[in-house]
Amino acid sequence: MAEIVQILILGLALGGVIALMGSGLSLVFGVMRIVNLAHPSLIIGGAYITYWGFKSLGIDPIVMLPVAAAIMAAIGVLLYRLVFQREAKSAKYSEMTVLLTFALAMMVEGLLGGLFTNTQRVTSPDYATAAFFIGDVFIPKGQLYAGIVSLTIIAGLSLFLKYSRLGYAIRATTQNREAAELLGVNVQFISVLAFAIGLALAGAAGSLVSFVFSFFPAKHWEWIAMLMSVVVLGGMGSILGTVVGALILSVVAAFVGTWIGATWSTLTFFLALFIILLVRPQGLFGEKPEMA
Amino acid sequence: MTKLLDVTNITAGYGDGPAIIDGAHLTVEPGKVHCIIGPNGAGKSTLLKAICGMLSIRKGDVMFKGERLNGLRPDQILRKGICFVPQERALFAKMTVRENLRMGGFIIDDKREVERRIDGILERFPILRERADQHAGTMSGGQQQTLAMARTLIIRPDIVMLDEPSLGLAPKVVQEMFDIMKMMSAEGVTVLLVEQNALMGLKNADWGVVLDLGRTLFEGPAATVLADPRIQELYLGGKKAA
Repeated sequence: MAEIVQILILGLALGGVIALMGSGLSLVFGVMRIVNLAHPSLIIGGAYITYWGFKSLGIDPIVMLPVAAAIMAAIGVLLYRLVFQREAKSAKYSEMTVLLTFALAMMVEGLLGGLFTNTQRVTSPDYATAAFFIGDVFIPKGQLYAGIVSLTIIAGLSLFLKYSRLGYAIRATTQNREAAELLGVNVQFISVLAFAIGLALAGAAGSLVSFVFSFFPAKHWEWIAMLMSVVVLGGMGSILGTVVGALILSVVAAFVGTWIGATWSTLTFFLALFIILLVRPQGLFGEKPEMA
Repeated sequence: MTKLLDVTNITAGYGDGPAIIDGAHLTVEPGKVHCIIGPNGAGKSTLLKAICGMLSIRKGDVMFKGERLNGLRPDQILRKGICFVPQERALFAKMTVRENLRMGGFIIDDKREVERRIDGILERFPILRERADQHAGTMSGGQQQTLAMARTLIIRPDIVMLDEPSLGLAPKVVQEMFDIMKMMSAEGVTVLLVEQNALMGLKNADWGVVLDLGRTLFEGPAATVLADPRIQELYLGGKKAA
């Protein structure tokens, strides 16, 4: 019993972080139909900003989180204006963004490799290697803090989307871009804003990831499949779906990793992606695609 | 004649494609119901999309209260007082009726005022009040159309443009849509309607505009247009209007 509780706790804490990693990807797809393959590389960008702050200035990774988020949001505004806005009215926009973001991921990887080399890095605040013990169950402080901060950010994002005027505009644009425009929403501004928020989430996730996982510039290739699995399971564009998808898959992966073997843990995500696309391509909370 | 909206010889189309309307004109008087009729492909919907800024105008002018609207975005044109309900109703399927109405008041900064106006709308449309917390996507076609039309009233616009509000609805429900339209008109909202059912549209309108191949053939009082033998022959299948 203790083992099951232990696995559940570890899975849920990690799931919280993965939910934050995926939520930006989901938001950006929902509002702009951009399949941002560069999202994980930008998370790694956030991790390196945090690493730099921690190593050079001694700032705690969680304290660095708003800094990383703000820097990535600013990069998001620039990227959207320079790269994505020009093609926004193209009929093949989503398809084009796959290629564009693939190229962007390669560039970010190259840039980070040039700046920080390809050595594995990790920030190591005291809590990253400490744990709470409740009976036989141990709760790693690093994962717990990262999970709590992640879910708090997602809860804040959800409240913002649900109740604020801009949140209404983002949700409306996600559901029906043309209708939103006809009701007075400046969808260009909302697109820039959503892209900036998406990248801010990547930056924030990067700060937390920096002490939960070791990272290096090419690590993003490992993460994109995992994040796509989570987002597709939840339903592309649904933040709630991303959270549910992340928690489910992380818990399942934790059980698989413990009971079958760590090698098979990663396979959980790939297998889930394969099955979801076959059985329910719209995911748990997504809309069924319209027939042509 | 007082002109609220004056469209003069405009040319517009989709992207870089050929012009769908070329030489279309119409005059809209305040407080009246105007009905644009014409065969499929005449450019009726394209004309409304050009007026509301969804399509860029290549030639000609759209003047509203003496101000040129060419080049403005849809959200900017809405703020001037022109509301557009497209054929597909432009609802947010996963938002509730109340949230959809809230989006209708998006351009109003005073949240309390928006809520007051929503309460007013829900009072006037009991079917919407009953379903205030229901997702719009789960409602019937008639209820969705009622919501789309009622939503325009939140901002108290000068002109509401409706693109085929009767499309896909049962005859009884269609009459309800025309009743709502008349109510809007009685409250001083000017209505510009595109209607495939020319007979029904003209019977419920004050002014008729006949469009064909992207050009305005003629316009005049709806009764006159309805009685015109060419219209009887071309668009009403030779039927005499009762």
